[in-house]
Amino acid sequence: MVYRNANGETRMIKSSCPGRWALARTVVCALLLAAAPAKAADKTDPETDRKALQAFFFAKFPKVDKAEFGNGPYAVNEEMRKQWTDIMQFPPYEIALDEGHAEWDKPFANGKHYADCFDNKGEGIRQTYPRFIAETGQVETLEGAINRCRVENGEKPLDPMTGLMASLAAVMSESSRGKPFAIAIPDDPRALAAYDRGKEFFYSRKGQLGVSCASCHMSPAGERMRGDILAPALGILAAMPIYRSDWGSMGTSIRRISTCSSQTRAVPLKADDEDYRDVEYFLSYMSNGIPVVGPGTRP
Amino acid sequence: MTKSFFAFVVLAAAALPHSAHADDAKAGQELALDRAKGNCLACHTIKGGDAPSSVGRELVGMKRRFPNRADLVEILTDEPMRNSIAPMPPFGRNHILTRAEIEKIVDFLYTL
Amino acid sequence: MKRSMKRSILLAAGLVMLSLPALAATQEEAEAALAAARAAESEAVAAKAAWIPTETALIKAAKALAAEKWDEAKLAADEALALARLSVEQANEQKTSWRNAVFR
Repeated sequence: MVYRNANGETRMIKSSCPGRWALARTVVCALLLAAAPAKAADKTDPETDRKALQAFFFAKFPKVDKAEFGNGPYAVNEEMRKQWTDIMQFPPYEIALDEGHAEWDKPFANGKHYADCFDNKGEGIRQTYPRFIAETGQVETLEGAINRCRVENGEKPLDPMTGLMASLAAVMSESSRGKPFAIAIPDDPRALAAYDRGKEFFYSRKGQLGVSCASCHMSPAGERMRGDILAPALGILAAMPIYRSDWGSMGTSIRRISTCSSQTRAVPLKADDEDYRDVEYFLSYMSNGIPVVGPGTRP
Repeated sequence: MTKSFFAFVVLAAAALPHSAHADDAKAGQELALDRAKGNCLACHTIKGGDAPSSVGRELVGMKRRFPNRADLVEILTDEPMRNSIAPMPPFGRNHILTRAEIEKIVDFLYTL
Repeated sequence: MKRSMKRSILLAAGLVMLSLPALAATQEEAEAALAAARAAESEAVAAKAAWIPTETALIKAAKALAAEKWDEAKLAADEALALARLSVEQANEQKTSWRNAVFR
């Protein structure tokens, strides 16, 4: 008798007892089979989630090339794309890139550089963020890593939402353009737990408006909300950091996530709150295979 | 003391018979279009509105589609309860709109 | 005067007489209402479930209290309390029901 145990693994019951126990065995098997599927459904498998979510969006937007999903509204709406093409004659993030390069090349007071904090000198690695850090048991975003670099070298941390931080993030993103997201969930229950929390955050209704991230960025993706087109969740962080016309300035993922919180009439959490880092982790993992396109621009 | 006087006036007005459906529909339209209240145009296309939103269905032919008024009231009160993936906020349940406001908006919806 | 109109006015007067005591708030009641609302909001903040309108209502209540407008203060505080409780309720309910929203 083959069955699935509580961990979803296939097991076999070998009976060494003759027929008299057959009924008992059948009952036990039946109970195990009845119990196991429920447990298996609860157990997280990020790869299954990712494949399902990507299939959902590829089916929803069959004309959109996989590589285009990072462009959000511009990928799924012709009219928006035309506006975008115009804007991109003079990309509004160029100033941030200049500022970012200047800052990146400047040594800290102790003589070290940003490049010393990162693998490959910080080039072509943005697509691996956020990362799960075993030492802290926490998810670290790109901005978190940049601030950790500063603090470890005696500098003050930056406002993670905009300004110089966004400029530095823009530099790192630019060097990863075209590289597909490659978020790792190491074989560590804490990492899986962080992914799970991120998934829960994504699907939980919040704020007085009682909507979740999924409420707008799953089924209604591509639909019009007044003058905006709702971006699909797939690739939604690939263009970060963005110059958002609405802000008239640059913003990192956390700035956008935090603004979304307020828009649901929820009091935003602290910028480095675990919930925000975990949902970035979840969203980025969901986009594994989708190329980075940042820095970007949005309406 | 002034508050009590106004309360009396309000209660007296409420107790008087009112044929104010037309007034309610007008008030309902204002509530529906108010970004701080219904903000319906954010997701729905409504005749006379200035936004071709498509997150929700166009609000038209409402009498035919929702002959039972209670259904519309329920939708405005707590649509996520009826549909777990609904992008529509639970206006009544989360106190975005009062019951009285919902009734007025329903009056407005029935003119569409 | 029409009979129905007389009846309506009497009804109104009766309702008002019944509700008058409930409408007039004292300073103590207003302060207690604000304290209760603040306590509920602390719970919401701890649950990472705080809503912006709750904070707005609390500020309104505090301002009214400072201006010695007890009725207004109590009204705003009561609304803040209701919102704070709703926000915690939603967060708790979502802890289990979020899975219903995962697309299939």
